[in-house]
Amino acid sequence: MLKDKYQQEIDELLSRYPVKRSALIPLLYLAQRDEGFVSEGAMKEIAGLLHLTPPQVYETATFYTMINLKPVGKFHLQVCKSLMCALAGSDTVIGWVKTKLGIGPGETTTDGLFTLSAVECLAACGTAPMMQVNDDYYERLTEDTFDRILADLKKDGSCSLKTGPFMWPEPAPAKPGA
Amino acid sequence: MANQTTETVRLMIDGISISVPKGTLVIEAARQAGVMIPHFCYHPKLKPDANCRMCLVEIERVRKLQTSCSTVATEGMAVRTATTVVNDAHKSVLEFILANHPLDCPVCDQGGRCDLQDFSHQYTATSRFAETKRIFQKEYFSPLIETQMNRCVQCLRCVRYCDEVMDVKALAPIGRGTMTEIKSFGNHPLDCEFCGGCVQICPVGAITSRLSMYEYRPWMLKRADTICTFCGDGCQITVQTKDQELIEVNSAHSGGRNNGDLCARGYFGFHAASHPDRVTHPLIRRNGTLVEATWEEALLFVAEQTNRIKQAHGPQAFGGLISGRCTNEELYLFQKFMRLTIGTNNLDSSARYGHVNGVQAMRRVQGTHRWTVTFEDIVQADVLLLVGTNITEANPITGLKVKEAVKKQEATLLTIEALQPAVGTISNITNLSKQHLCVAPSQFGAAVLGLLKAVIEGDHVDPGIRQRASDYVSALSHAVRQIAWEDLAVSTGISSDSFAQMAASVVRGRRVVVLAGQILLRSQGGYGMCLNLLDLLLLSGKLTSPGCGFAPLAEENNDQGAVEMGAVAELLPGALDLTDQDSRDRMARAWKEELPLVPGGTLIEMVDRASAGIIKSLFVVGENPVGSLPSQIRAKEALSKLDLLVCQELFLTETAALAHVVLPAASAMEKAGTFTNTEGHAQAVRPAIDPVGDSRPDWEILSAFSVFLGAPLEYGEAKEILKEIRSVIPGYGSLGPSPIAPTADPSAIDRYVTEGYRHDVAIRYTLPPRAVRQEGTVQLGLVQSLFHSGKFSTHSKGLLQIEPSAFLQMNPVDAARFALGSGDRVRLSNNRGQFITTVKVLERVPEGLAWLPDHFAQEALRLFDCVIDPDTKVPSFRTATVSVLKAT
Repeated sequence: MLKDKYQQEIDELLSRYPVKRSALIPLLYLAQRDEGFVSEGAMKEIAGLLHLTPPQVYETATFYTMINLKPVGKFHLQVCKSLMCALAGSDTVIGWVKTKLGIGPGETTTDGLFTLSAVECLAACGTAPMMQVNDDYYERLTEDTFDRILADLKKDGSCSLKTGPFMWPEPAPAKPGA
Repeated sequence: MANQTTETVRLMIDGISISVPKGTLVIEAARQAGVMIPHFCYHPKLKPDANCRMCLVEIERVRKLQTSCSTVATEGMAVRTATTVVNDAHKSVLEFILANHPLDCPVCDQGGRCDLQDFSHQYTATSRFAETKRIFQKEYFSPLIETQMNRCVQCLRCVRYCDEVMDVKALAPIGRGTMTEIKSFGNHPLDCEFCGGCVQICPVGAITSRLSMYEYRPWMLKRADTICTFCGDGCQITVQTKDQELIEVNSAHSGGRNNGDLCARGYFGFHAASHPDRVTHPLIRRNGTLVEATWEEALLFVAEQTNRIKQAHGPQAFGGLISGRCTNEELYLFQKFMRLTIGTNNLDSSARYGHVNGVQAMRRVQGTHRWTVTFEDIVQADVLLLVGTNITEANPITGLKVKEAVKKQEATLLTIEALQPAVGTISNITNLSKQHLCVAPSQFGAAVLGLLKAVIEGDHVDPGIRQRASDYVSALSHAVRQIAWEDLAVSTGISSDSFAQMAASVVRGRRVVVLAGQILLRSQGGYGMCLNLLDLLLLSGKLTSPGCGFAPLAEENNDQGAVEMGAVAELLPGALDLTDQDSRDRMARAWKEELPLVPGGTLIEMVDRASAGIIKSLFVVGENPVGSLPSQIRAKEALSKLDLLVCQELFLTETAALAHVVLPAASAMEKAGTFTNTEGHAQAVRPAIDPVGDSRPDWEILSAFSVFLGAPLEYGEAKEILKEIRSVIPGYGSLGPSPIAPTADPSAIDRYVTEGYRHDVAIRYTLPPRAVRQEGTVQLGLVQSLFHSGKFSTHSKGLLQIEPSAFLQMNPVDAARFALGSGDRVRLSNNRGQFITTVKVLERVPEGLAWLPDHFAQEALRLFDCVIDPDTKVPSFRTATVSVLKAT
């Protein structure tokens, strides 16, 4: 249960919004951070926390490609396939993943290291093609940089070519006077 | 809140000038002008979503095309719907939809009544799309509802209906873009209220009913508009049949008092009438067993026996019971038969189980036997107080009116219910409450007293009533002073502040409607509670204000009719007092015959008299006292002693099994007549199929009895009885689209506040006894389930798929205390007996209570005490204290 582990954080998230339901995405992220994906049990629990029905949580969770409904590998490659990246060659990037790692969208390598997802626009159109790996952006991808990213990830778990992370809101500023 | 504006705007639609109320949408204005704008996602019941883009129109001085479903008509607006630009836009939108819509019309149940099909014809849309169409993996959806998501046009009407109207929120659009599909949760089958609303509102064949899958084309079906028989709400249903086969039920949009909305019982319960167990031939008991006979033999047998008993023991040796499911014509004829042909007032109907409590309270305080409000007043109320209604389960469509009032009109909802706010698979009215007091049914009376005390002590008493009836006000003030806040807090668990807050909300309201439901009406002291709620309205000055009133909810579809037709011992047609000489004279003039003088026995009294051998013969029409009353009433023993028990029945019930003669009755699907709903609105019942087997409508059987008994009450058809009813009872003159609610009678109120309140005020203003609940016990309550209505619906294959058997609903905390989980077997016992059933853990059940649906509770009835109300003779057997033990 998320409540047992993260009571304080959940309370803080809930306190941020005047409408309870607004805390839905932050809570989904919390659940995802906990298990690597959002399970049915977590969705039911979140529904209970926010007085929603499970389908209402499921609806949001399936809308956003950032929320994983299945377990993913250690590195989650999220290749943007929206228009700008597609014009700049996102299909090629997906092709590289296929040849170098042997996985297509929605699949995970047998060693459990990499999962590929084709996702919607990640707002880096100026630097297409691009992909997000976990919380980091890798932009202006070429086959060379792509190879280097894979090699570094396997070796160090990180790569210096990354930009970002851009996905997380800054922590709420400390209240003045607090 | 009622914000009725009379302001209008004038606009032009395709050159037609039309004036509409301010705030009207262009699409609605166009409809009023006779211009149909094609649309999928728009529905008058739902908030505009403008997602399908089908309703684009040209508006003068606006550069782009606008969606008419989300554009509000303004003064001087000029709208064009038939230009080439608009036409091209519609064509393009259709082309996009058809890019993915499969052309499987030949196997689609919607074929022939499909919006997409119609628009495709209209626009002769062709598709340039040559790629593969979108295909969804087909997943099992639900036992009753079929989805075929490839056909979905993603208008989200179903999702919005489920949320906005039903407040169930069981459906959601899953995924995004083209690949959005309607699902519930993961790959779990749908578990919801099964109102069928999504099936009805789907513009294409994406969501259809599994009960009628592949069985028809719409043009093959014969339609009959009639009234549902599963509760007192009186919903209009359209029964669709193929020859003698019941295929489907739906409800025309904006049709009837239900405005086209239905519940699971109405939408999926229709098969009960065509169950193979129907009694189809007259049966006569010969040598101890019931054997088939002809109508002639059966009627002759009844006539001979009746004459013999009447000669030997007189008319008081007879009694009659009739079900509130029968039509007004049958109820009327039944009481006339009992009173004239037989000559006794020993007659009663199922209204006795609770509805009489509400009616008698209204008669006593405000001099009406009907609500002084209508469903429209509920929707337009600014304060709604619900007491013991369990409205979602018991009166689902009245529940929708309450939801509409709260969600759309922003009414303040106050609830006193044995319910906990919790999100579940079916909606929970207390989730919408502004203030909710969770009280056990046995303490509803205490909560009402708390509210009264808060009104009086918070100085909220209306100056008008204080001036007009100072004795009454001071008597009640004195009475509530005798009740201590501390005792109230112990009884109900509610603080004086909460009562004060709720009282203030009630008093602040301008249009206040108080709804009392079956849990209250069937509780011990239900009559007193109704009177006290009426006192509450009187004291706060609301009783006679427009839009305010007291609304007790009827359980059976025609409980209200039973009272109005005089099918209860103490009332004559028109709900007139039997003891009132003027009323008796009026009826005697109309019937050209004297009425029996001896006061009649009510339900329980008749059972007692049968047991004592005073009543020798009972005519039972659709009632089942043996199955419905707890065993300590000994109905079975009493009825076994009878010399003649005649049952007119659909099925061989526990009572019919004891009968000497069983006559096959036609169900409501097979006869004409009228039902009077809980608001007091009489509506036409029309036959959808011919009577099954040799069955006949109950009125025909009664009429035949009278002929064989030599005192004919002859009518050619049900309409002739209605004609007589109209001449006898005012208010049955025309069957209009909506009821005209009576107003409270000032002279009756005067009588009540001067003298009428006195004799029982001390009893009514006493806290109900507190049961000391021992460790290891729960308070067991009989409740209505959303998926069944009495025994009748347990013959419906659709409803049995949702809820096939009995189960005990209990709170998670209690379940944990008894180490029980959903699906475990549990043994309930007290000193009266025991009962084994299955547990279902639900958060909505308050701690310390447990619920059993009453239609499966027959075996459990013996656990319940039965208390008879001294005034209204209503038997109450709704709560019992039982020990809970896990059964292995």
